Amino acid sequence: MSHLKQQSTLAIFVLLGLLTATANAQSSRTKLDGMWSDPPATAVGTFCFFSCTDLGLDRLNKLLDDSANDARPAMQLIAQAKTVEGDYIRGLFTPEALKHFPLDPLKDPGYLRCEPWGLARQMFAPHQFEMRQNGRDRIDLRYGEWAARRTIYMDGRKLPANIKPSKMGYSIGRWDGETLIIETSAIEANIFESLAVGGNTGGGTLHSDQLRIVERYTRSSDGKTLQLTATLEDPVTFRGPLVLKKTWSWAPDQKITPYDSCERPAESKKDAKP
Amino acid sequence: MTSSRTCLLILPILLLCSSVSLSHHSFSAVYDGSKETTVAGVVTQFRFVNPHAMMYLDATDSSGKVAKWVVEFDGRLNLSNVGWTADSIKSGERVTVTGNPSHTESNRLFFRKLVHADGTELVRGAQRLNAIEEDRRQRARQRDQQK
Repeated sequence: MSHLKQQSTLAIFVLLGLLTATANAQSSRTKLDGMWSDPPATAVGTFCFFSCTDLGLDRLNKLLDDSANDARPAMQLIAQAKTVEGDYIRGLFTPEALKHFPLDPLKDPGYLRCEPWGLARQMFAPHQFEMRQNGRDRIDLRYGEWAARRTIYMDGRKLPANIKPSKMGYSIGRWDGETLIIETSAIEANIFESLAVGGNTGGGTLHSDQLRIVERYTRSSDGKTLQLTATLEDPVTFRGPLVLKKTWSWAPDQKITPYDSCERPAESKKDAKP
Repeated sequence: MTSSRTCLLILPILLLCSSVSLSHHSFSAVYDGSKETTVAGVVTQFRFVNPHAMMYLDATDSSGKVAKWVVEFDGRLNLSNVGWTADSIKSGERVTVTGNPSHTESNRLFFRKLVHADGTELVRGAQRLNAIEEDRRQRARQRDQQK
């Protein structure tokens, strides 16, 4: 009788454990869901508006904490820290990447032909970013910029070996506690840029189709921000892994509106491909 | 050294432009951030769209000749973040607009500031810049209190 009671108690504990684990998994699956947008209007938030590195953030924090800089505009300190960050990122470029650096922004297909960005730029795009669990096995990502979309497969499949590269690549994901980890490969050769190396002034270079990206998304403990840590590896472009960070603010009232009026520049129209 | 100094001068402008916009094209490739032009005229159309809102303006000179101007704004995505709507600028209203001139097209500006006929103003990025500086002052106060 006593043995039976012990077994029943054990069964109840196991059942409770399973229920808790299931509830936690369910909670993780929807914890990041919703609409996110521009980072907090702080110096640090602005520094990471597109992307930033730990090295750059460290430099910015030192500048902000030095009372000798109190009279200088925040944007000037941000620019100074970005210069340091730019030197670091440029130092990671391979000779092949340096051959293409800096790209001419007037030849950017996004500018010339209103051609949407590849993943290496899109995942750091400013403004709206929406994450939605789609059933048990998929997560849909939408971006305000270019109204771009991605699908993340969460069913445990492996990255396919021979898949045709595309702008957004092929993404599989998994949960590590409350962190969403996404691995992407099969990304077409395209443009990598960072404001720190003069992005949008010709600070970009080309990455190859060997680019692999691991993204880690975590919600802050106060729930107000979403943090991305992305590791980019491409032996043709970078001497080693490049780790970039980005922050969004919780923005449930925002919407992604159509990207319906991309105007090709007048001076390029006659030469640009349709 | 020269390159670093140049970068320090240019980057705040880029960051300001970038922090607010930079969507499908490079700002500096199209516009001259170091210059500003002011034009007064009557709005013929304001298109509140992505990736960039556009305003079309007829400016009449003293001889009565009408020049057509195009003013490019940040996109609807981020203008709506700071409270703009499709009615923020109305067709038929008289405005004075200041912006960065285009390198390549005459009579084209990138928006910096617009003054309505009643004197009220729309200024690009002002809210965010003010908030950044306020955050910084608060951070400095906290630092000083900890000493």
